[in-house]
Amino acid sequence: MSVGFIGAGQLAFALARGFTAAGVLAAHKITASSPDTDLPTVSGLRKMGVNFTVSNKDTVKSSDVLFLAVKPPIIPFILEEVGPDIEARHIVVSCAAGVTISSIEKKLSTFCPTPKVIRCMTNTPVIVREGATVYATGTHADVEDGKLLEQLMASVGFCTEVEEDLIDAVTGLSGSGPAYAFTALDALADGGVKMGLPRRLAVRLGAQALLGAAKMLLESEQHPGQLKDNVCSPGGATIHALHFLESGGFRSLLINAVEASCIRTRELQHLADQEKISPAAIKKTLLDKVKLESPSLSVASASKVSLFTSKSKKN
Amino acid sequence: MEAAELWVGFVGAGRMAGGLVRGLLQAGKVPASNVLASAPSDKNLDAWRELGCRTTHCNLEVVHRSTLVFLATKPHVLPGVLEEIRPAVGSHHIVVSLVAGVTIQTLQRLLPPWTKVLRIMPNLPCVVQAGAMVFSRGTNAGDEEAALLQSLLSSCGLCEEVPESYIDIHTGLSGSGVAYVYLFAEALAEGAVKMGMPGALASRIAAQTLLGAAKMLLETGEHPAKLRGDVCTPGGTTIYALHQLEKGALRATVMDAVEAATNRACDMAKD
Repeated sequence: MSVGFIGAGQLAFALARGFTAAGVLAAHKITASSPDTDLPTVSGLRKMGVNFTVSNKDTVKSSDVLFLAVKPPIIPFILEEVGPDIEARHIVVSCAAGVTISSIEKKLSTFCPTPKVIRCMTNTPVIVREGATVYATGTHADVEDGKLLEQLMASVGFCTEVEEDLIDAVTGLSGSGPAYAFTALDALADGGVKMGLPRRLAVRLGAQALLGAAKMLLESEQHPGQLKDNVCSPGGATIHALHFLESGGFRSLLINAVEASCIRTRELQHLADQEKISPAAIKKTLLDKVKLESPSLSVASASKVSLFTSKSKKN
Repeated sequence: MEAAELWVGFVGAGRMAGGLVRGLLQAGKVPASNVLASAPSDKNLDAWRELGCRTTHCNLEVVHRSTLVFLATKPHVLPGVLEEIRPAVGSHHIVVSLVAGVTIQTLQRLLPPWTKVLRIMPNLPCVVQAGAMVFSRGTNAGDEEAALLQSLLSSCGLCEEVPESYIDIHTGLSGSGVAYVYLFAEALAEGAVKMGMPGALASRIAAQTLLGAAKMLLETGEHPAKLRGDVCTPGGTTIYALHQLEKGALRATVMDAVEAATNRACDMAKD
């Protein structure tokens, strides 16, 4: 079996690394493509022994399982480009947040009558084979196709099939989840450093604490509330700390985060469904996003701002 | 000692004492005619007489005629009362103090050295035999006295012996805790009224909801987090509501309340 990635960014890299480390796939059976050869992940993929090309068509031709590993707004254009090369044998796996099976099938049906489409939501820890993946099969994907993907993804972590309408929630929880964890770990390490620990040790211990706790929970029948109680001796250190977390609305912040990510995913779905956006508009969208998100520009002087807008007009 | 032969006295006849005696009488632990209560005025004593108890204005009489003596005065009154009854307290007496903030050490200092002293912290629902009480023993109180108290008072609800250091915590958790629950019940009902339900109905349902939830907790022995999860269908009404509660940092606020009441109890005890 050969696997291809349209897109050679973080996701492609993480999956390729995971599959090769798990031994389910040799690197030379993997192809990845991207027009942008400057991506840091491209050199990483090359070093792994993955076949890298700038031609998406080449990737399609040399793959049985084809991962669409590009950002959601790009999906429609990819499908237009490689549609003609998709055959009945291909299993097209989209990992794009918010992109529905029906939108992909609709796009591909102009080229191929019965495209096999599977929608998948995974996360970056596939890179260390502790990913969390869910998938939903499309109209023409058989049970065996789903099982094939499940085998692949199970080699890099937990994988289970779900109904498609749950995938946005999964995105909010485990898709974005590692980011929440990294943020927490960074802050925990800060706490350690504040109380006197060297940074490296603080990071190491914080990560191990979360890893251990997660492992305990996964291996236990007990409710996390009970596991929490087990750590809290009366009047002790932990319960004092937990009180601070509760005062800060820790729990609601996490609920808010999962909700926000899920809702944003649905918004992205609407964006992706708007198939009339031109490539130039996509570029502009990205540039506008950069303008909005860049802190230096938000407090920019008038001259700086005008410099930027004039630059974008040149494009 | 047989509970039926027990002569029980109450020095002070206020709300707390009234709650305890109602529980004892309802459960048939002690006949009303064996109960003698004293208070400075008749204001509270009328209710006791209606229960069939005997009453007096003389604290010494209570001590003379009882073996088990409950001290149920207000804290600032107690030292004077103890000085008054001290001469009549013998080694056969069992003195149980309900007085908030007065430590066993203080009680033993103000009573004869041979006195069997116990300290109890009840809560209001003792009145309906659904109280939560904790007690500690003083130097001379032994297993027999502790067992007697436990057996008598489990007629009023949950009754557990604890180290004295837990008593202030119990105040914060359950003594005052009853008020937190009333506040919560009121707020629940108010929410329902806002959404269009008549107030009286909303209040009854709110109370029943609390009762039912508490009953399930006590009877299933499950962790509250698990029971909470059991009610939360994915994407359903409950999880939406819980999110609002978490946004309001309800948990931390409740912890703050218990802490504040406990600390206040400790401070008051020092006075």
